[in-house]
Amino acid sequence: MIKIENLSVAFDGTEVVKKLSLTIADGEIVGVVGESGSGKSVTALTMMGLVSEEATITSGKIWYDDTLLLEAGKPRDKALYRSFQGSKMSMIFQEPMTSLNPTKRVGNQVEEMLKLHTTDLTAKQMKEKVLEAFLSVGLKDAERVYECYPHQLSGGMRQRVMIAMAIILHPGLVVADEPTTALDVSVQSQIIRLLRKINKEQKNSMLFITHDLNLAKRLCNRVVVMKDGNVVESGTVNEIFDHPKEEYTRKLIEAVPSREKKMQRFSMNVGDIQNANGQNMPLQRPDILEVKDLNVSYMDGSNSLFSSKKKKQVVTGATFTMKQGEILGLVGESGCGKTTLSKAILGMNKDVEGSIIHHSNQPQMIFQDPYSSLNPAKTIGWLLQEPLRAAGLRDKQFEMTKADREAAAFDMLHKVGLSDKYFYRKSSQLSGGQRQRISIAQALITRPGLVIADEPVSALDVTIQAQIMELMRKLQEEMKLSFLFISHDINVIYQMSDRIMVMKEGRIVEIGETQEIFDNPKEAYTKQLLAEV
Amino acid sequence: MKYILKKIATLIMTLFLVSVAAFVAFQIIPGDVVTSILGTEATEEREEQLREELGLNDPPVTRYINWVGDVVKGDLGESYRFSKNMNEMMPVKELIGDKLPVTLWLAAIAVVLIIVISIPLGVFWAKSKSKVLDAVMGVLTQTAMAIPSFFLGILVTYLFGIVFKWFTPGGYVSYQENFWGFMGYLFFPALSVAIPKIAMTARFLRNSMITEMKGDYVRTAYSKGCNDRRVMYLHVLRNAMMPVITFLGMIIAEIVAGSIVVEQVFGLPGIGRLLISSISTRDFPVVQILILYITFVVIFVYFLVDILYRVIDPRISNK
Repeated sequence: MIKIENLSVAFDGTEVVKKLSLTIADGEIVGVVGESGSGKSVTALTMMGLVSEEATITSGKIWYDDTLLLEAGKPRDKALYRSFQGSKMSMIFQEPMTSLNPTKRVGNQVEEMLKLHTTDLTAKQMKEKVLEAFLSVGLKDAERVYECYPHQLSGGMRQRVMIAMAIILHPGLVVADEPTTALDVSVQSQIIRLLRKINKEQKNSMLFITHDLNLAKRLCNRVVVMKDGNVVESGTVNEIFDHPKEEYTRKLIEAVPSREKKMQRFSMNVGDIQNANGQNMPLQRPDILEVKDLNVSYMDGSNSLFSSKKKKQVVTGATFTMKQGEILGLVGESGCGKTTLSKAILGMNKDVEGSIIHHSNQPQMIFQDPYSSLNPAKTIGWLLQEPLRAAGLRDKQFEMTKADREAAAFDMLHKVGLSDKYFYRKSSQLSGGQRQRISIAQALITRPGLVIADEPVSALDVTIQAQIMELMRKLQEEMKLSFLFISHDINVIYQMSDRIMVMKEGRIVEIGETQEIFDNPKEAYTKQLLAEV
Repeated sequence: MKYILKKIATLIMTLFLVSVAAFVAFQIIPGDVVTSILGTEATEEREEQLREELGLNDPPVTRYINWVGDVVKGDLGESYRFSKNMNEMMPVKELIGDKLPVTLWLAAIAVVLIIVISIPLGVFWAKSKSKVLDAVMGVLTQTAMAIPSFFLGILVTYLFGIVFKWFTPGGYVSYQENFWGFMGYLFFPALSVAIPKIAMTARFLRNSMITEMKGDYVRTAYSKGCNDRRVMYLHVLRNAMMPVITFLGMIIAEIVAGSIVVEQVFGLPGIGRLLISSISTRDFPVVQILILYITFVVIFVYFLVDILYRVIDPRISNK
């Protein structure tokens, strides 16, 4: 059906895809997995004829059935491609919000497919077909959705619209580039199920690109593992996941946080006394944080002279305590109030009712995106010292000399596993993983008792993710830290936390020991959350 | 709807503030109306008599209220300087009446020219991949932006009036006599007003489009099989117009307020000339009304821009 032969794609003379060969049979779902920079997206975009003009095809050919779509050395035949794009091959992208035109109704956007590739339909028939497509992807209120603009739909609905658009002409090939990465876990599963259903009904081939091995395992027939533009290994799902031949594949699979092999955690056991039966008796630990009946709200509405502001309550009646040296995992879908709660604990949101009692000095925060949360204009050394300077300005007792500050910064740099030379670099010279190490160092340099980590590994590749989680655990033990660890990934939470707190729509629905929650979830919502993965 | 009412309330508030400012300003600035009307030779009794006639002896607040009251009723007052006949002074309404259309039409033609030329030009520029064309456009627009419109006016007069003889420099027909002839005479002045703005708008639109073309939705459009043209006009343009519309609003406001110089260059009897002469002769009733008029037009244009913004971008009205 699709045959890619010896494909090489270069940007500015650097090859990002190297002599790649790939075939997709009729009705088959092929997964391409790999970390960022492995060339998986460039491969898909090249195949779709969407790769940017700066890219040069240095070798290879791409066939669709018997049609030669692309050949190295020849200019891209745009007209030929246009007759395939949409009708015979279509694509679903990662970010449904930005991938849909924000100023056009989604119905019209889907309809455009019909306008471009069919000639015999009346306006009324087109609309009917669009509504049909909406229903087939599970958009029940099709009439209303038709009239909506992208921003009026939820993330999952937007992605369904994208899928409806991709399949409305029953193309032979659907390329899905990280279609669930931007979505919540529960929505993620629905989308995966939907893709499988479409594959079954329409018998189209699919190319599924993902960094998430679990997803590839659930959806695909065959998997291709890519690294640095090369195919490392390919085979059926069973071959790849159960009997990986290559070292890299094995490493990748091991790095995925799972529920089977919980990494050994010592911290809670340190100092625990074993009772006569050999069971651990937990030592009484002092509380580090007490939150009681906490309501958090923020002001909604425009800054207008005439309309009064509305208060929107985001967190309702949150009550929990955290012990010293504990990692408390906080899970919930986007919009459930996780971040609002953590900001309230940090004192960044003033509109709170109830009480928050800290038994530690200034808590610190680690953010999700290490790219945007580090000031690009400053050196790493300066960034690391900044919290110390700020503390000194706030309170005379924390004042330090320049030499002491620098020593502390170097010390912290070593603690997070980076060498001295990074002290003089700027964040733009670092990789994502290194940046997140710096973020962690920045949060820990003032030696806070409590650290809030808001999705600290979500933006990272799996292998890096595993390293950062390892690092956080190590530091937690060394420095006797308490972590409030926020994540939407239930498996990451499982690996990291001593206890788990589940939030839904601003309320804490369940809180308990990690193993206990996983083995015997009490709330329906928790069960649903656990079942998704 | 509620939004429009709010906007109208804001508009009224602004007009009120400007009217107060215009009124107060002419109380403060030096120069006496009576002296400027009668000359320095007049007797004191005559001056006092005129002062009484014009109501200048009333306290300022009373005068302001009287003035605003009259304006609201549609009585714009009478000029201090122009007389209708031996016994009556010229009402401001009549004075402005036949000059306003000249200025408004001049602005309108300029705006149409700007929109009609700059948008395709900007799209074409953004679409082109030729480096040569890019450089040429860069130099051309930069030059057009840098030339002041009065000088452009002179160039246009020379080129189209004297070399090509497409119009008679300094000539003018009233719109009541011959509407299309009138439009013909306004075309070249409007062109000189428009050229620098066309260059600015095209440049701005081009940059905005180039930014938008990096958007994910553009890639989606291509993945559906849209050709370049369709992607540009049906997908990118509307999104790229958002900042351009604000910019156009500012430009239009500027044209309406700033056509004075061009009117002088082309000898058009618009309000520009009237405004200048009225200020120098302290003909306050005329100046105040002109200030209010300009303010009104500017705010009204911004109001339209706001509405247009909402029409183009559904995200705004739903926030």
